[in-house]
Amino acid sequence: MKKSIKYTLLPSLMILFYFFIPLPIFLVGNETTFVCVILLCFVVEYFIESAKSGEPIYMRPIAAIKAMEEAVGRATEMGTPVLYVPGISSLDQIDTISGLTILGHVAGMTAEYEANLHVPVCVPIVMETAKETCKESYLKKGRPDLYRNDMVHYVTDDQFAYAAGVNGIMLREKPAAVFFQGKFYAESLILAETGNSIGAIQIAGTGSSSQIPFFVTACDYTLIGEEFYAASAYLSGSPEMLGSIKGQDYVKVGCMIAIVIVFISSMLNGYGIIDFNIETLFRTNVVK
Amino acid sequence: MKRQIAYFLVIFIGFLTLIGHFINYPPLNDFIDNDATQWFDIISGFAAFLGVINLLQLHLNKVANKRKHYQYSIITLFGFIIMIIFGFIYNGSNVPMGPHLKEQGSAFYWMFQNIYLPLGATMFALLAFFVASASYRAFKIRNFEATLLLVSGIFLMLGRVPVGQLIPWWLSLEIYICLIFAITAGLFTNKKTLFYTLLISMIIFPFIILQLNLYQLAVFKIPDLQEWIMDVPATAGSRAIMIGIALGTIAQSYRIITGRERSILGD
Repeated sequence: MKKSIKYTLLPSLMILFYFFIPLPIFLVGNETTFVCVILLCFVVEYFIESAKSGEPIYMRPIAAIKAMEEAVGRATEMGTPVLYVPGISSLDQIDTISGLTILGHVAGMTAEYEANLHVPVCVPIVMETAKETCKESYLKKGRPDLYRNDMVHYVTDDQFAYAAGVNGIMLREKPAAVFFQGKFYAESLILAETGNSIGAIQIAGTGSSSQIPFFVTACDYTLIGEEFYAASAYLSGSPEMLGSIKGQDYVKVGCMIAIVIVFISSMLNGYGIIDFNIETLFRTNVVK
Repeated sequence: MKRQIAYFLVIFIGFLTLIGHFINYPPLNDFIDNDATQWFDIISGFAAFLGVINLLQLHLNKVANKRKHYQYSIITLFGFIIMIIFGFIYNGSNVPMGPHLKEQGSAFYWMFQNIYLPLGATMFALLAFFVASASYRAFKIRNFEATLLLVSGIFLMLGRVPVGQLIPWWLSLEIYICLIFAITAGLFTNKKTLFYTLLISMIIFPFIILQLNLYQLAVFKIPDLQEWIMDVPATAGSRAIMIGIALGTIAQSYRIITGRERSILGD
């Protein structure tokens, strides 16, 4: 089957099946989520397939991602460790998982450059995952001898006690590169300002929209919003991962067009030029 | 093989969770909503022991080998042992062990109230100073964006304090005039011309606004202006970021549950 037909027909059939099947197979109230998830997944999958078949993909240079290797290189030259903070949340947060995927790449870089990596962790289950991630990265780079068990270590579960512990590490060890990648709350500024005061190159990334301004102010580079989730795919450089980012960007363009349509339609409806109220389309259960 | 099993588990549980969100099958919904989260809590609970062991190992090693800054490790170990004693061995109150953790007379409670909480509050209070230093850097006028940030920051601060409500319309107008001249100052080659134009504008414009009866406009009330800044430009910006985050989350989750994102397993 032709690729474009496959990726148009299949999601359409799934959506039709979801809405028009007479049996109560599906939960009521999740219609909008279902349509969004299906559309996004198929668009992403389409571009992954395109990338795999050799279609060239242009990636906008992201300064923060480019600076990661420079930061590790700087730490190596200065003979100081690289500090990686994976946030204070557990593995049930996608930000923590994203932080750990980026840790895999950073650990690969430190293994390559023979730099010292230091990962203080707030949640024990994240510590175990981070340990495995680092161990595998060092093994993959052919430097298992450089991996130390105390590279990733537990500090405490408490938010501000953790901030105090990490600040202490920063002030004592003076790392040349500090990475903040994960879920952060009020401690973000305490950590980032301390890192700034010791003159470290700081690269932050988080999905916590309320913490982004603090990181932008105090860090040298910040991965904002979806850049943070795309960082791992970007760093991997594999075509299928890059294809997924392209797909994501196309969905974003779709969202922008939808916003403009909704805006114009609402305005026309508001002034009484048209009777149709587009807002009703976005209310869940409107179809059933 | 070990890695293949890990991939399989991630993919299987990932799809199961996704399907469970849409399919109307009570055992599956129950598993997703309750059982799976309970399993996660149990695993996390056991991992806590690993955390404690790791902490002890790390600091005991530091002390035993007298590594750099080992003195701090002694304090950490001391605190750890003290709290273990007060939590499991020494009670200090009349209630039995266990409930004594929340009993006001117990040694554990005293330590928690008088040492742990004040230390946490101290760290939190430090945030105020860090906000001040970060704001200073952010508000430094370097370019147009920083200027915008400074101006909107000033309006927000003024609008959110009681004195902001007392600022009369004509003073707001004078602030706007000053701001406009601050931005367009570069266009004036002669400083005298700039000064006299500013002075004349500051005298004439309040009368014009008064004559045209425009002084009741919301733009001349600082609290209303700050509300508009928060409701319109700030909300628009944060929603743009939120849409990006939502799309990124779905795409990242898709990459993980289809087994493409394997960096977490070191690939």
